[in-house]
Amino acid sequence: MALNRKIAYIELTTGDIETKPIPVKVRNMFLGGRGLDMYLMYNHIKPGVDPLGSDNVAFVSAGVLGGTLASASARTHIGGKSPLTGFVGSANMGGFFAPELRWAGFDHLVIKGKAENPVYLWIQNNEIEIRDAKHIWGKTVHETQEIIREELGDRDIKILTIGPAGENLVRFANVMTGIKDAAGRSGMGALLGSKNLKAIAVRGTMDIKLERPEEALQYNKKVIEQITSAKVSQTQGKLGTPFIWGATNTQGLVRVNNFQLNQLEDADEVEAEAIDKVAVGMAGCFGCQVHCRSKYVIPEGDYAGVYDEGPEYTSQGAWAAEPGCRSLNNILVCNHLVNIYGLDTLETGSLISWVMELYEKGILTDEDTGGLDLRFGNEEAVIEMIHRIAKREGLGDILAEGPLRAAEKIGKDSIKYLVHVKGMSNLHSDERPTPGLALGIATASRGSDHLRSRPAIDLYHLPKQVLRNIYSQPVPYDGPVTSDYRDYEGKAWQVFWQETCYEAVDCLGICKFHTVFLGASLPSFEEWSKLLYYNTGLELSPLDIWTIAERAYNMERLFNIREGLTREDDWLVDRYFDEPTSVGIPGVRGKTIDRDKLKNMIDEYYEHHGWDEQGVPRLETLQRLGIENEPSHIL
Amino acid sequence: MNEETTAESVAKGRTYGAFRCLNCFERVSVPTGAKTHKCPHCSFEWRLSWLSPDFPRIRGPVWEANRQLAEENLSKKQKGVN
Repeated sequence: MALNRKIAYIELTTGDIETKPIPVKVRNMFLGGRGLDMYLMYNHIKPGVDPLGSDNVAFVSAGVLGGTLASASARTHIGGKSPLTGFVGSANMGGFFAPELRWAGFDHLVIKGKAENPVYLWIQNNEIEIRDAKHIWGKTVHETQEIIREELGDRDIKILTIGPAGENLVRFANVMTGIKDAAGRSGMGALLGSKNLKAIAVRGTMDIKLERPEEALQYNKKVIEQITSAKVSQTQGKLGTPFIWGATNTQGLVRVNNFQLNQLEDADEVEAEAIDKVAVGMAGCFGCQVHCRSKYVIPEGDYAGVYDEGPEYTSQGAWAAEPGCRSLNNILVCNHLVNIYGLDTLETGSLISWVMELYEKGILTDEDTGGLDLRFGNEEAVIEMIHRIAKREGLGDILAEGPLRAAEKIGKDSIKYLVHVKGMSNLHSDERPTPGLALGIATASRGSDHLRSRPAIDLYHLPKQVLRNIYSQPVPYDGPVTSDYRDYEGKAWQVFWQETCYEAVDCLGICKFHTVFLGASLPSFEEWSKLLYYNTGLELSPLDIWTIAERAYNMERLFNIREGLTREDDWLVDRYFDEPTSVGIPGVRGKTIDRDKLKNMIDEYYEHHGWDEQGVPRLETLQRLGIENEPSHIL
Repeated sequence: MNEETTAESVAKGRTYGAFRCLNCFERVSVPTGAKTHKCPHCSFEWRLSWLSPDFPRIRGPVWEANRQLAEENLSKKQKGVN
């Protein structure tokens, strides 16, 4: 059965390990992956714990479709209280780990306590062993995986690991797998580091028995055709996510020199086509036909000849737009460094560009930077700052604490120039001309976030009827829709819909690029209902899946509120309202976000959720979703 | 299993051999293999790349041409000229 994978509770302080089955009742409530992790987080993490203390709990999971025939059912979710924000910590990555975890008999790992010395977990066909990791502590992400595979004598072992950044408790350290697959955002690497947990190695050879294999095979073929025939998938398969740059930077929708400009002009060398020229091929995750990950060898400089994978769109922003750099080699080197250190590329690049602006404004001096010339465009300085953050040296040590703590430490007017929400830095996108996208980052549960609720297709100027078709399923919607990304009307529903869609896809464990994120014609609730039925036997309508996603998102909201979140946290920094955009196409120039209109959008967004004006879920909402008695401690 | 889903109906609206201008958002047909193309509707000029012979995409702006057009456009706007 596809639903017979277990949950394992691993107590690192004592070494105790317990396993339990996951009741179908719970599956019908949360499916798996991020959804069930949110239930577990709310039930197992005590209110107010120190995110880096032994009372915090780490959650690792596969989605309910993980490792099945469903396309790109590769995603691993990592959860816990965020060391970066103090709110929901949640990160998601592709690769091959989650399917292997399921083949080894487990869907969810609940990791408690703290090991006395560095350890790693070795999971093989229903068995879990805690092993010494002193010899790999300090090793990079790539080295760690090689050593463990060598040690255990199996090249097919899949490993998730932290790098030196996680060990050093950099509050935005990633959990990584493979060469570059990253569970980024919210500092889950620091959480594992705080537990002295270096890595989890897994090998499984236990088949997942599909409920209706013939029908599953046939239907999956149909869905694969749907995915591969989409223009966005074809583009992504050739150029990876950097293709997005062709739309965003071209119009003037990226932030440059921290937040001072909204277009990186004359930077042809960092475009997707330039990356494609140095790529030596494309790689994919488990079960994916798109293959959106470039493979490359750094062509020149100190790192010439080094192999890595990526860079993603986020790295174009982090290592070109935000710090005002224009060389492809710089992107490739920086991407490599964050991969081996296990750093969040987005957060790292944003923080470095922030201190570059502080340096430009004289808030930071050469004395503060340890003599480093932090002028925008200085690529050597950017590279040096990555090392210093990962190793917690000098100014890097301050930045390793994350945006808000760093601003407090630096003082003066530094916080005025910080671009964040809930203590998490923004992607390099500039949302001043795009109110829908601005609402998404303002309200996202884990902080400023383009992956939680972004209505990315808002940028495509799709016909109203197309938008109406998409956004009226599986819940009827007869409110406004507009094709213009500069409008405010109807965007609250779009954000709510996308948020629910992304939560659902994370419960299923399939890739966000295979749903209505970057492409309008990709699978959604209707397809998932059938995929679930044929693969697992779960009989859930599109509306049932929507409701599960809503339920899971409300658990995140409850978690955040319990940790002190208020309506004031669902907001943007003043720069969005006070500093107009200055370059790009005429339609995006002179744009700011209107405070009153944003407030109204947030009201409407809360209303769609069934939350009160303070953003607190109403009792009737919790009752409708069956979570009014949480925490229930079923698992 | 054979019922058409929303996504499948949306897919029927795909166009080939054209791109959407990123200034005026009109669909623009373009000769196969063209490296740059000026939008016939708004005159903005784009550098193109081709994923296949019928699949052009905008790689980026023709920087100087579009900067000039944007400045002219804004200047007219400030003077109240449509």
